[in-house]
Amino acid sequence: MSTPSYKQHISTQFNAELEDVRQRVLAMGGLVEQQIVDATRSLMEADSGLASEVAKNDYKVNELEVYIDEECARILARRQPTASDLRLVHAVIKTITDLERIGDEAEKIARMAIDLAGHDRLSEGMIEVQHLSRDVAQMVHDALDAFARMDADAALACAREDQVIDREYEALLRQCITFMMEDPRTIRRVMDIIWSVRALERIGDHAKNICEYVIYYVKGKDVRHLSLESMEKELRD
Amino acid sequence: MTGVQNKTPLTHGIDIDALKREQAGSNLEDETIALEVEKLDLYYGPKQALKGIDMQIPQKKVTAFIGPSGCGKSTLLRCFNRMNDLVDGCHIDGEIRLHGKNIFDRDVDAAMLRRRVGMVFQKPNPFPKSIYENVAYGMRLAGVDKKRVIDDTVEWALKGAALWDEVKDRLNDSALGLSGGQQQRLVIARAIAIHPEVILLDEPCSALDPISTLKVEELINDLKDRYTIVIVTHNMQQAARVSDYTAFMYMGELVEYGNTDQLFTKPVKKQTEDYITGRYG
Repeated sequence: MSTPSYKQHISTQFNAELEDVRQRVLAMGGLVEQQIVDATRSLMEADSGLASEVAKNDYKVNELEVYIDEECARILARRQPTASDLRLVHAVIKTITDLERIGDEAEKIARMAIDLAGHDRLSEGMIEVQHLSRDVAQMVHDALDAFARMDADAALACAREDQVIDREYEALLRQCITFMMEDPRTIRRVMDIIWSVRALERIGDHAKNICEYVIYYVKGKDVRHLSLESMEKELRD
Repeated sequence: MTGVQNKTPLTHGIDIDALKREQAGSNLEDETIALEVEKLDLYYGPKQALKGIDMQIPQKKVTAFIGPSGCGKSTLLRCFNRMNDLVDGCHIDGEIRLHGKNIFDRDVDAAMLRRRVGMVFQKPNPFPKSIYENVAYGMRLAGVDKKRVIDDTVEWALKGAALWDEVKDRLNDSALGLSGGQQQRLVIARAIAIHPEVILLDEPCSALDPISTLKVEELINDLKDRYTIVIVTHNMQQAARVSDYTAFMYMGELVEYGNTDQLFTKPVKKQTEDYITGRYG
């Protein structure tokens, strides 16, 4: 594999700074991924201990966001990056905002899990939630993978996964509505499930945003707010 | 600035407090001080060019002086190896201590001082001799006559100045045949060949093209492991890129001096902010 462009500066210090900030984003991504996995597991297994752990760890994600932001500001001030370097720093600043929000959604799920742990469990529907959470975690993983390799095609493929997530989300919502109509006593619990499912769907959107930043870095094209077809067209042009 | 090489490794558990400590960067209080300036006033005839400068230059770091033309930054730099002695009508009050010893004391020999505090000027000024002789010259003056020693040092200095690979096959060619960027690196090699403690750079890149400039900057970054470097530059972006500490001077006064990250992201004084953001009136 050829050396990525951000490692080809005459200034080795600049190379190191960019590589370092990229590594930090991946570390933050790893932490966020773990938060999603733990949060959904605590929801599935009604494990309030694990859920509290997730809620407690959210501060780490927040602090990493602040730290990386500061590093980016420093690079902007000292290096005045241009072209692909500027896009990289720009993409990093945007990516960590989405990662931080993913962290917040994971924390929300954990709080629902704590709430739900005190009640009888719903046996039905949970298997679908599990599917959705697995797909969402996979999507975040793929988005971070595309970021790590700065691979625009992988980013596009990952952005496409969001459609599947949205469909699963719709189906789950309909199912939840049915539960509530059948037995209004479940409304309170089902509402918690709905909030969690909603959080998972939002995580999918944030992962898609990260994919868009990867495409922006690689191709220099802003593909936000475009349909998947237009995104694909932009990539091919 | 934050030492990228020494960052906390990325393991599963991220130590955020350690990261923050690294980010906070270095402070002058934690540095070993190489040069200490105290109550320095300098007059060119009746005109006062430096007014009550107090500052400490840390060892094995890069300190940059920035400020508009005529603010006194080059004058201050030239004080560090007493180049101002050569200026008629120049009068200095106050002290500059190199590792505790006042360089203006009567028993300090200026030639000896300049061997410890080397200088590189704005325009590359190689001697009209061969590349080899340019680097060897200072050593010969210092009384080194063993060819073997001189050969080794010439190679070492040229390697240190990131020039060896470009000139190793033509060491006996005239130095005047080198490009501007190569000449400037040759002059730096000449300066380090006599093992100074401090290297003063007076706008070393202002006559160079952008790529040569970046090469010299990269060289500065390499050299700071071994030398204390003080650089005067008109180009604040260059100061931001190469220095650990930055001093902003204006009308002969030291306005703000501190960690480069801090000065370029959150300057304390409004004057500094106005200058570095180009709002200077």
